[in-house]
Amino acid sequence: MTTAGIQAMYIYGGAAYLDVTELARHRQLDNARFENLLIKQKTVALPWEDPVTFAVNAAKPIVDMLSDAEKNRIELLITCTESGIDFGKSLSTYVHHYLGLSRNCRLFEIKQACYSGTAGFQMALNFILSGVSPGARALVVTTDISRFTVAGRNEAPAEDWSFAEPSSGAGGVAMLVSGEPTVFRADVGANGYYGHEVMDACRPLPDSEAGNVDLSLMTYMECSQQAYLEYRKRVTEADYRSSFQYLAFHTPFGGMVKGAHRTIMRKIVKASPDEIELDFMQRVAPGLNYCQRVGNIMGGTVFMSLASIIDNGNFDAPRRIGCFSYGSGCCSEFYSGMVTGEGQKQQQRLRIREQLDRRYRMSVADYERIVVNNTNLRFGMRDVTPDFHLIPEAWDKMNNTPQLYLKEIRDFHRKYEWR
Amino acid sequence: MEMDEIFQTLIRSIREVLPELREHQFQEEDQLKELGANSIDRVEILALTVEVLSLDIPLTALQGAHNIGELAALIKEQQQLITGKQNQL
Repeated sequence: MTTAGIQAMYIYGGAAYLDVTELARHRQLDNARFENLLIKQKTVALPWEDPVTFAVNAAKPIVDMLSDAEKNRIELLITCTESGIDFGKSLSTYVHHYLGLSRNCRLFEIKQACYSGTAGFQMALNFILSGVSPGARALVVTTDISRFTVAGRNEAPAEDWSFAEPSSGAGGVAMLVSGEPTVFRADVGANGYYGHEVMDACRPLPDSEAGNVDLSLMTYMECSQQAYLEYRKRVTEADYRSSFQYLAFHTPFGGMVKGAHRTIMRKIVKASPDEIELDFMQRVAPGLNYCQRVGNIMGGTVFMSLASIIDNGNFDAPRRIGCFSYGSGCCSEFYSGMVTGEGQKQQQRLRIREQLDRRYRMSVADYERIVVNNTNLRFGMRDVTPDFHLIPEAWDKMNNTPQLYLKEIRDFHRKYEWR
Repeated sequence: MEMDEIFQTLIRSIREVLPELREHQFQEEDQLKELGANSIDRVEILALTVEVLSLDIPLTALQGAHNIGELAALIKEQQQLITGKQNQL
């Protein structure tokens, strides 16, 4: 097997979102500075949503596209997350059950902060490329949520962590990886990876984050250059400006991507400020569209950027897309693949944009109710019945398409139902 | 390179990232955050300075300075480390 990549992908951006400029005003963040962050909306996880529902709701439309025979050839299911709900049992077991996949399938979970999705994707690619099970498929699902709690805010985080709340979203990305890569054909072996130990951003406690914003930005910028330089060592004819018609970045928030792109273009391409701005609009901005609407979904963000490029870019001719993935702690990777007009048409039929448009727009008052209620959904809760009446409009919105929701947790076991 | 030259390079980078400080009289005690630089601005200022000085060091080596005077000193220290290594070769 010499060809592999994404056969289909879907982004699930939740049932409700918050306009983050309203949140910024409410939190009294500096508005002029805030605009430079290039954030617009963020998906907020509702009480009946958790990492399992995001994962299953992302994968369901893809699995439904398959015949039973094809579905039964999914032999590898990897969930990629930093929002785990159990130290031992992986999310993939629930996802496997609610998608009704074959029992002859490997189930496990991968963690490496926001790099997890790329880690899962690359492992799946290698499984396909190895040819050890001809015709097999792999399903890679990233799922991450952030639940801010009242207690967290009272601890008065460092000033710059105020960016974390408006930029942290919730969402799942599912990718069917196979030897028929209609959507994204990976450039085999064209991978530059770069990682080292650094304490920039982490989740050392079950329900809160910690870290050093400056260090995190520096590490991200440094990795964005070093991973590409390693890629260029392996793909000697690569040229940052001309080899990739689009660039999909891991996007914690747009402003960070803009800074990294500017630095690389200045340093490696030696481009002028005007050229850099134009290049950003042409090659990077199409990927920001979905990211600006859902917020940072961690493990899946780089793929949300990729999906946004595929839906919003110009694919009259096949285009090569360069992808940069970064996960704090840290590990990063620059890799690439080809997208064609046929792949774009297939993706557009999944109507990701329309799904984002359907979300309920919550008020800051709704959001504050969620934040208070999040205390009931902390890590390790033994028995929980979610409050389905907390935001009735959001609950009603879920009637349109079949979606999985968390019905209850009893003796730690999570029970879900379709609605 | 002398401290003053490093300090002046640093100031030029700050002004490039934050043009509103064109008229500001910089002091060693000035803190980037107090001058209005957010975290993205701060990292860009460092990236630009390191680039102009052609220093091949990770930005993370410049962590921990409390003001721009200390930052210039850190840059000088890194520069000397590199020169020291080159001399050994």
